[in-house]
Amino acid sequence: MTGTLGLLRFMLRRERFGLPWWLLGATLLVLIQSTQSQNLYDTPEDLEKLRHSIGGNTAVIAMSGPTRLLDTIGGEVVFEILGFVSIVVALMSMFLVGRHTRAEEETGRAELLRSARVGRRAPLAAALSLAALANLAVAVLVFAAAAGTGLPVAGSLLFGLATGAVGITFAALTALAAQVFENARAVYGAVALVLGAAYVLRAAGDVGDGGLSWASPIGWSQRTFPYTGDRWWPLLLALGTTALLVTAAVVLLGHRDFGAGLVPPRPGRPAASPALRNAYALAWRLQRGSLIGWAIGLGLLGAAYGSIGDTIEQYFRDNPEVAEFLPGGTADVVDAYLALTVGLSALLAAAYGVTATLRLRAEETSGRAEPVLATATGRGTWLASHLSVSLVGSALVLLTFGIGEGLAYGLTVSDAGQVPRLAAVALAYLPAVWLIVAAVVLVFGWAPRASAALAWVVVGYCAVVALFAESFGLPGWVRRASPFAQTPQVPLEHLGVAPLLVIGLVAAFFLAAGYAGLRRRDLGY
Amino acid sequence: MENAISVAGLTKRFGRVTALDGLDLTVAQGEVHGFLGPNGAGKTTAIRVLLGLLRPDAGEVRLLGGDPVRDAVALHSRLAYVPGDVTLWPGITGGEVIDLLGRLRGGFDRRRRDELLERFDLDPRKKARTYSKGNRQKVALIAALAADVELLLLDEPTSGLDPLMESVFQQCIHEVKRQGRTVLLSSHILAEAEALCDRVSIIRLGRTVESGTLGELRHLTRTSVTVETADPLAGIEALPGVHDAVVEDHHARFDVDTAQLDAVVRRLAPLGVRSLTSTPPTLEELFLRHYGDEQAAAERVPS
Repeated sequence: MTGTLGLLRFMLRRERFGLPWWLLGATLLVLIQSTQSQNLYDTPEDLEKLRHSIGGNTAVIAMSGPTRLLDTIGGEVVFEILGFVSIVVALMSMFLVGRHTRAEEETGRAELLRSARVGRRAPLAAALSLAALANLAVAVLVFAAAAGTGLPVAGSLLFGLATGAVGITFAALTALAAQVFENARAVYGAVALVLGAAYVLRAAGDVGDGGLSWASPIGWSQRTFPYTGDRWWPLLLALGTTALLVTAAVVLLGHRDFGAGLVPPRPGRPAASPALRNAYALAWRLQRGSLIGWAIGLGLLGAAYGSIGDTIEQYFRDNPEVAEFLPGGTADVVDAYLALTVGLSALLAAAYGVTATLRLRAEETSGRAEPVLATATGRGTWLASHLSVSLVGSALVLLTFGIGEGLAYGLTVSDAGQVPRLAAVALAYLPAVWLIVAAVVLVFGWAPRASAALAWVVVGYCAVVALFAESFGLPGWVRRASPFAQTPQVPLEHLGVAPLLVIGLVAAFFLAAGYAGLRRRDLGY
Repeated sequence: MENAISVAGLTKRFGRVTALDGLDLTVAQGEVHGFLGPNGAGKTTAIRVLLGLLRPDAGEVRLLGGDPVRDAVALHSRLAYVPGDVTLWPGITGGEVIDLLGRLRGGFDRRRRDELLERFDLDPRKKARTYSKGNRQKVALIAALAADVELLLLDEPTSGLDPLMESVFQQCIHEVKRQGRTVLLSSHILAEAEALCDRVSIIRLGRTVESGTLGELRHLTRTSVTVETADPLAGIEALPGVHDAVVEDHHARFDVDTAQLDAVVRRLAPLGVRSLTSTPPTLEELFLRHYGDEQAAAERVPS
């Protein structure tokens, strides 16, 4: 453990620009949600009406949390936002721990540190302390944002701690994954998979009898029920799990060599297969692992959402009097739910498209593009090789979501026709996803240094418009600029070709302009 | 016969930093050309311009009779490049990278590849993330040397290789030269350039300061002389072309401009030379003189 404090100080210094943005993001989500909710539902009658409408809207429950939270206005805020803030702090914790443990070992920087008077466990201890500090800051900031906007103090304290608890649990999980896997990419993949599962489990639990929610760290936090009973003990579940995960990580750390994982590397091919013959083959080879992971992840997510679809129908069969209130009846509610989930999957597909396209920039800055471009591979071919992955790959990812959702929903309602139907529905978002990819190419061509930051700002903007436009009360022009908002909300709305054509044309223009920028700029800087 | 590389007045700026400031470089076909300079002199930038990765701000650049930017793809199938700092794809084996780069160049000699693997003692089955710096360098070198190309652009190719591998590399370059191929070898290892190069260009602060065969460059430099004579050596330090003389009666040590060597030796002969050692300037000294000027200038400024 020698040197932990020094390492922690160094880590804090390295995170001084990145970490504040994560904290700001989490705080703003709570701050805006709290203000908006208290404006919208300022009387008990409004809240009562909301309870009534949401009580029957399984889609909203699956996206948000358990309905018991809707008993008070503070609980309503938690209901709407805790699920999302949980994802933000879990990702923050994952990157904090992963970046300072396995990624450092992989690059060899940790070797330099460990050669100094630094103990074997010090980097892990320092990274976990860093994550603990960050999550403590999250807890304090969420408490301040909630209590500062007039919510009860005790509930706000629990709200803050419940948010931080999700973060520290995922920090501990990342610490364990960092001992198992040899490279940081695999660590992030594994933790993100667990995070996705945690979200889906609590969605399934909240829609059903609640049992499955107890298998999810996000579920534990939501079931502390801040402002609607203030139950403190689920926090102990998070703390206990954290302690177990950290212990497991420390034990594994003691049994492995520096730089090694649990699975030793196998020797690979001594010669390239005949298929690895051009830039396209290289791009697909480099990106296939990540594409397969995303496709499986979205397929499973689709299946999870699809299987919930049936319970919506069930609810209306059991409560025909509620269905009478809805224009369009049961069919429309299910379609609205499906449209909502497909819209969400389109955002994830866009996120995949962005990571796949940013691979170009990673190849460029790491110097790996140089030997390829020094061969008879032109800039256009090089760009097209990775672009083919992000364009085809994002279509594939959308398709697996649609097929997964169609399969699961089709099985529960005994209708095989749902598979092609929902696959087609998911592909309606393809032009919008491609437009995001094209926008990344555009900035890559003209402002390469800013490409990663700008690309994620675009995705973040589309996500905020899609998820929070209503509750944040964003003005219409802000919403209309998102290609996802321009895409008809199929299958609820009729699919018009005109908007898709316009989106496609803009995408084509961005691609051409991005290529023109790449042709004329210096490479490698 | 047209030159393999001809660069005249090449200027490249990055913001306010001028990396290349009117660089001239001529490499004839079939020669091994040393491209020498201290770190940060602009060697890598110049090679990246030759590869068309960077666009020149000013100047004339011709590579194998073509324009490096416009004809990049056509030219690149006739050359092979080894970067100074080789980074590889972590999940791909060395053998796969060698084959891939060969195919991307438009073909390579498989027998030669296997022979080179043997000579450089590289295990092609290991994933690139497990290779040391020297082994990554070997991967890039084998890929380049196995390629059937006219021109090799090598950016400090031996950094990270041990002395044994360095001598293997030198053998390979001799073979390449016998095959009549052209090599541009950037280096700051002077022994390497002395052993391999027909001609050298010395660059400093983005500008060519000297260019020619090693013999020609030596004319511009000084020879170190240590001499012992029967008669006292008075007045030697005053001769034209003599520098840094230390004279003690019958002993003297001094440097003399190579152009004045003959006159100085004539002056010494009547004094009865008992022993005489003269050392030709090494590239090291050539280099130190050009680099040293800058240091001297830097030292002069504060005083």
